[in-house]
Amino acid sequence: MNLTETGQSRVNGYLFVLERSLKTFLPIDVVRDAVREIESHLRERVAASDGLPNEREALERILLELGPPLHVAKAYSAERIVDEAIATERIVPMLRAVWHLAVTTVIGFGAALGILIAYLVGVAFLSLAILKPVFPNNVGVWVRTGDESLRTEFPWRLGAQFPIPQNEHIVGGYWVIPICLFLGLLVLVVNHRCTVKFLHWWRSRRVLSDDPHLGTAR
Amino acid sequence: MSHDNWLEQLRRGGLDLAILLAVANGPRYGLAIIEHLEAFTDLVVGEGTIYPILGRLTKEGLLEANWVEGEAPHPRKYYRLTKTGGRRLREMKAEWRAFAEKIDRLIAASPDREGERR
Repeated sequence: MNLTETGQSRVNGYLFVLERSLKTFLPIDVVRDAVREIESHLRERVAASDGLPNEREALERILLELGPPLHVAKAYSAERIVDEAIATERIVPMLRAVWHLAVTTVIGFGAALGILIAYLVGVAFLSLAILKPVFPNNVGVWVRTGDESLRTEFPWRLGAQFPIPQNEHIVGGYWVIPICLFLGLLVLVVNHRCTVKFLHWWRSRRVLSDDPHLGTAR
Repeated sequence: MSHDNWLEQLRRGGLDLAILLAVANGPRYGLAIIEHLEAFTDLVVGEGTIYPILGRLTKEGLLEANWVEGEAPHPRKYYRLTKTGGRRLREMKAEWRAFAEKIDRLIAASPDREGERR
């Protein structure tokens, strides 16, 4: 089948959307190569097609078999970014994968927000452990002084305060260092494991949701 | 794990091996690999999902790819096994056979409860 100008525009539109999607997370040379390969696939399929019942329907069937451009882009992201993160479990590939999911899916955005908050909490605990020896009078467990009956807030809090408030004082001394180290590492390790599990789940869900034969598992 | 999920994991686990097998006898381009897989299996559930896997296998050094022009009206990207890919394929084949054999033994040792009730 030889494509008319309309058919050619449809193919170009498909490739344009695919390229735009891939550009958000892949290097430009990889994107060009991937788009060129998909274009080659389409031209091969079109050349082999009998064009029945008409060009439009034949072309739509070919594009349907290939999958929507956003699904193809998602498959690239699952293979290139998410798989790398799962296989290596290193921080940078994992953050890259989470970032990619955050900017492309709603679930990914929610998960990335939770993961980011958990990382910040872990880092905050570790920061307190590091700051305590440097600012022993500013970092620790703070309790309010003064009239107990007037107290409406939570009676103590953990953190650093500059300058030292007049109606609060520190308790617990240097015990805050091992406690914060333990809590910080615990939060970071648990968050890391949860992130790996989330990426595993997302990868299996993505493939299932793209699979027309297994569509009920969404 | 649902039945669909289990099937998907099984399919996904076999797809890398199937793709390496498809190019074991010589280089093939993407569509030829898809057609080969479709002729022997039902592993290909979306043509567009095969190309990212080919890209990953190439990045891992199991396949090498090069563009060939002039063979058809449009350029084709051919994939061939690398030495590392050949070694990995032998390992995967041996592991797959051993795995399938173990599951077969388990199935054979397991009485057909449904049948017994009837």
